Amino acid sequence: MSGPSLEEVLRRRRVLVCVGAGGVGKTTLAAAVAMRAAALGRSALVCTIDPARRLANALGLTWLGNAPTEVSTEVLAGAGIQLAAPLQAMMLDLKASWDDLIQRQAPPGQRDRILKNRFYQTLSTALAGSQEYIALERLGQLRDRSDAELIVLDTPPTAHALDFLDAPSRVLDFLDNEAARWLLDPALRASRLSLRLALWGGGVAAKTIGRIIGGDTLEELASFLGAVSGMNDRFRERARAVRALLASPETGFLLVAGATPERREEALRFHAVLGDRGLQRDGVVVNRVQEEPPASADAELEGLSEPLRGTLLRTLGEARALSERDRLGIRLLRDGTAPTPLIAIPRFPAEIHDLRALWRAGSYLLGEAAIL
Amino acid sequence: MSGLLDRRLLLVTGKGGVGKSTVAASLALRLAAAGLRTLLCEVNADRRLGRMLGHPEVGPDVADVEANLSMVDLQPDAAMREYVLSKIRLERVYRAVFENRMVRYFLRFVPALAETVMLGKVLWHLRQWPDAPGGFDRIVMDLPATGHALTLLGVPQSLVSALPSGPMSSEADWMLDLLTDPVITSAVLVSLPEELPVNETLELTDALRTRLRIRVGAVVLNQSVESRFGPADLSALAGRPGLSGLVQTYEEDARRTEEAVERLRAIDAPLLRLPRLVRPEIRREELVSLGDALAEGLR
Repeated sequence: MSGPSLEEVLRRRRVLVCVGAGGVGKTTLAAAVAMRAAALGRSALVCTIDPARRLANALGLTWLGNAPTEVSTEVLAGAGIQLAAPLQAMMLDLKASWDDLIQRQAPPGQRDRILKNRFYQTLSTALAGSQEYIALERLGQLRDRSDAELIVLDTPPTAHALDFLDAPSRVLDFLDNEAARWLLDPALRASRLSLRLALWGGGVAAKTIGRIIGGDTLEELASFLGAVSGMNDRFRERARAVRALLASPETGFLLVAGATPERREEALRFHAVLGDRGLQRDGVVVNRVQEEPPASADAELEGLSEPLRGTLLRTLGEARALSERDRLGIRLLRDGTAPTPLIAIPRFPAEIHDLRALWRAGSYLLGEAAIL
Repeated sequence: MSGLLDRRLLLVTGKGGVGKSTVAASLALRLAAAGLRTLLCEVNADRRLGRMLGHPEVGPDVADVEANLSMVDLQPDAAMREYVLSKIRLERVYRAVFENRMVRYFLRFVPALAETVMLGKVLWHLRQWPDAPGGFDRIVMDLPATGHALTLLGVPQSLVSALPSGPMSSEADWMLDLLTDPVITSAVLVSLPEELPVNETLELTDALRTRLRIRVGAVVLNQSVESRFGPADLSALAGRPGLSGLVQTYEEDARRTEEAVERLRAIDAPLLRLPRLVRPEIRREELVSLGDALAEGLR
């Protein structure tokens, strides 16, 4: 049976971003997409975040580094897979990427001051959007430097679609914050010695805020903003480049979804948000769909005795109910996301952790197999 | 007798998509049914629990929704307002300063501020127990997924260790006392019989216990499948490919459940399996029966 295919997308795009809620199998599908692109003759790089160890091992990523590594042809051949172009994989270490960005961008005298500042620690690990931002920042770098023809980006699990797409703007807001300047300008211009005085002389607003978050915290924030202010132009430029890359015709988005009610709603919202931003929606991939049990099963019950027959009947009923639930989910997803192509991938008996299973998942992406 | 349901604050968390909200809602319904005044909180979650339980109107203010059950969807701005007003008491000053567009914008970036005020609100209700206004017998928090949950719960600790003494760090002291008291607070970790969610549960346990010193009171393995067929059954099905396939698929799921159970046993906390639900939507009766199963298993 054949179905919709992403072949055209895999041949054409420079960048594919896999988005979706946590726990839907984005990482695995990103790997399957890259593998199939390489099979079609385009060198591909899959950039994953926190893959299952077994998937990492299968790809030969035993060393979890922050740089692309080629998946060895012997490893692939061992699984009976021959690719027409190289396949590379890498792990994205978000904290290391932040540190690296500061190392490259900060004026030499400011580097240590920034890296050690508590606000930098928050920015690089905990500020909403910072993980998404650095993933995109890294994507921009890879796009400029990688020799791979297609880059497939797996993204951090995101609670809200907007967190991801707005990340460049939000982080930029933080670093180049009109409001912060307005509040802290006297402090920013003041020397360290007079910082506190300037701050506390800074009017009722700073004073009142200080009562809530603490004067020292305010002071520390001012110092951090002072340290990064020299980098603002470079950050702005990079964030603009990343935004442009996302909207560029060479970039497409694959929305990875689940058919269950909760997963489905998130996917529909995400799909709408991508559309609102004018981003290219290349496909909705519904993962782990429960397949219908074979129709022959009922007839095969004939002649079996209890209790086996009863247990089989119950198991069969449950399997049908699960598949029915997923079919309904797919129908609703298709209605809500048309005309974006929708591809359903069955739930495999074992988790997709070896190269053969990745290959098999890929056959659904290319329409060589279909379940509907 | 001190089981999990005797803890006054239950923190439900786990990897995205494992069924945290389902477990949190089931626990809350069960506690309320037992006559305990219960508050069910979600954290800036688009009122998902409200929709699940048929109370879509619940927002950032605590609302009584049914007998013994109140709900709230914590939101940073509303929690901030409440917090600031409790400190400066002057609505006029609040409006002049904190409703200023620039200030609002700026405050979004003060690290941990949003988390502090949201967590602070929940813990304030916890502190009102037993009889003060706003007090509840039980509070169930449907936390965000692992990483964000750890950030949220770690806020008092990082404030205490990182901040010079000041208004935020003095708030953090009492918050930390409540969170780390094993008689008061317990985490409930939700997992699935798959490799990644189990990995995450193990890592989360470690982070909660060693880094945040929060008790892990129970692990709930959602969507568990119990073995039904043995080798003899499979031989009896020789020549029936459809049924053999069905049985193999089913037993593969059961095997995955066993594998997950085996790994989760390392946690040294009661482990409860919730059966896989096959209905298209999770309805209230399912939540009630899950709640009963939880209460039974976690007694």
